[in-house]
Amino acid sequence: MSKYLPKQADLIREMEEKPSPLKGDHAKQEWWEMPVEFREGNFCFPAKPEVIEELGFANPRKWAVTDDDWQLPEGWQKTLMDGMRERIKKYRSLKLYLDSCVRCGACADKCHFFLGTGDPKNMPVLRAELVRSVYRGDFPMVEKILKGFAGSRKLTKEVLREWYMYFYQCTECRRCSVFCPMGIDTAEITIMVREILQLVGLNNNWILAPVANCNRTGNHLGIEPHTFVQNVESLVDDIEELTGVAVNPTFNRKGAEILFITPSGDVFGDPGVYTMMGYMLLFEHIGLDYTISTYASEGGNFGFFTSNDMMRKLNAKMYHEAERLGVKWILGGECGHMWRVVHQYMSTMNGPANFLEEPVSPITGTKFSNAKATKMVHIAEFTADLIHNSKLKLDPKRNDHLRTTFHDSCNVARGMGMFEEPRYVLNKVCNSFHEMPENTIREQTFCCGSGSGINAEENMAMRMKGGFPRANAVQKVKEKHQVNSLVTICAIDRASLPPLMRYWNPGVSVYGLHELVGNALVMQGEKMRTEDLREDPMTGFDDKEDDVD
Amino acid sequence: MNRTWERIIRENRETILKRWLEFGLDLFSGKMAPGTPISEALADGMGMMLDGFAEDGERCREGVSRVTRILAVHPFRPSRSLSLFPELRSILQETGGSEGDAPFCTERIEAILFEAFDLFMEHRETIYQLKVEESRSKMHMLLRSTGS
Repeated sequence: MSKYLPKQADLIREMEEKPSPLKGDHAKQEWWEMPVEFREGNFCFPAKPEVIEELGFANPRKWAVTDDDWQLPEGWQKTLMDGMRERIKKYRSLKLYLDSCVRCGACADKCHFFLGTGDPKNMPVLRAELVRSVYRGDFPMVEKILKGFAGSRKLTKEVLREWYMYFYQCTECRRCSVFCPMGIDTAEITIMVREILQLVGLNNNWILAPVANCNRTGNHLGIEPHTFVQNVESLVDDIEELTGVAVNPTFNRKGAEILFITPSGDVFGDPGVYTMMGYMLLFEHIGLDYTISTYASEGGNFGFFTSNDMMRKLNAKMYHEAERLGVKWILGGECGHMWRVVHQYMSTMNGPANFLEEPVSPITGTKFSNAKATKMVHIAEFTADLIHNSKLKLDPKRNDHLRTTFHDSCNVARGMGMFEEPRYVLNKVCNSFHEMPENTIREQTFCCGSGSGINAEENMAMRMKGGFPRANAVQKVKEKHQVNSLVTICAIDRASLPPLMRYWNPGVSVYGLHELVGNALVMQGEKMRTEDLREDPMTGFDDKEDDVD
Repeated sequence: MNRTWERIIRENRETILKRWLEFGLDLFSGKMAPGTPISEALADGMGMMLDGFAEDGERCREGVSRVTRILAVHPFRPSRSLSLFPELRSILQETGGSEGDAPFCTERIEAILFEAFDLFMEHRETIYQLKVEESRSKMHMLLRSTGS
């Protein structure tokens, strides 16, 4: 027997002697006395010391979440409390959210992690209470006097373990905030607590490694400009082989009308690359004057999951590059949190970008007045406008091998209120589209379970639990309408939904919206298409002439 | 005798499922609330098993697969997870009383338990496969360029 396996006696001791919620051993205790246990599959690895050093963040060291000693710096409690005080003073929203919860519980069963794990501390109200209880104990004078009665407690190492576990089990999806009668946005609390935890070196490598890469080379994978170009050119070759059409993207071209920025997952990852191929076919189809930057080569912004300062720094490259290249406006690809950063923060954080123009589609003349402040247009809006103005020649039959449903990405749906445009496009490029149940889509959409930087492989079991409500909704349309394709407009979704589907709904594949656009576009000078962009056979296009005029 | 169990289960389906589901929900820390997606999915899988219990068919197997897929991502010991299946034997034998064929019931539960063990392990293995596949997907273009 392997020396790594636990001994039978250890297992028996664990089951019989160790207190466990499963045996009701904590039934009479307060909620905060429930133990926190890090087990394989329910946490992400902390950032490597060299990554922290590169970013100049606090407390670089080699440690493991399962260690008894987290090697916290001297005076860690003061650092954290000072950090909290500073942020409460700086961000009025944080103070408001900490003060105004009436514990009505309306949010309790709305969180996908609570629904997927059954763990009470994953109820948004309790997750926030983890930090509220400390805030209450140390700040307002009356609460300080009343102490236990008011449900307050000291910041101990155990509390810190709780913070680390549960604020990295929140994907900042904001579904709870839709149902909160007080308008509390628990995601904002998570964002702040994660920022505070950085002060003592409690972090996540899956977030900080991309942040360091992006800080150095401009994209999450740390790919150098020449490799970035090589990858895109390799996709150009694939397009020509499949369609007979040569597309011509340009890089860092000064004087282009539009700067196109998309998440780097679309340039490097599977299945994101097929979405990238769809973008390039679309731009070729309409003769768009655009360029791609090898410096602003990442739409995503993991600084958003780290600290406000880092978010601002990584975001700034978009405007810097737009100014350097002298474009009129920016077109953004399919991404989730990139759009939340752009839509909610960019114009005030790094703007105003007065060197850019209010975006106008060069093809239809439509003025995107909603992007007047940011000067950046979402590709789904852009394409919907093209279709609405009959500027695209589409054959939706080319997607007849796909029976689709649509997953609203949290940040695009709840973060910027975009519900109709992707659906409009999807309905024009395919013939089979079925909505998931009403309480799982649009503003009530369920998260993929892997957003906000917890998409790490080692966290897979937790991601499968957190993503269960979404997968369950997909299963409904799979069984009722034989859906085999889950379409989404978010790069994290395109990375995280394939394993989620493979686990819960084998047979359902994940697609980007513009991959389907690319399949359906009838290009000038194209050869007969019998395969989609993944080289899967299209239904009804074998050995016969394409029947579209 | 299969017919007898088929009838007993059909006539008492709601009560059996309710009792069994309650046991299943108790497995979760702090008890999983009824009406949640997990609870509904467990009930669906258990219902499929009950409907296919009397015959060793695909419906029952699909039910076992769905239930074990849920259990395999939760942090219980495998033995704790699989305790759900022998529990069905107690519920069925209490419900069927002297009318039910006890040896047949035991035989079926044992077969289901073995199948559940295989499927539970299959799901656990899938989790590990997903980790590998995800790493490869992230590096898709890089691996492609090296011919891997």
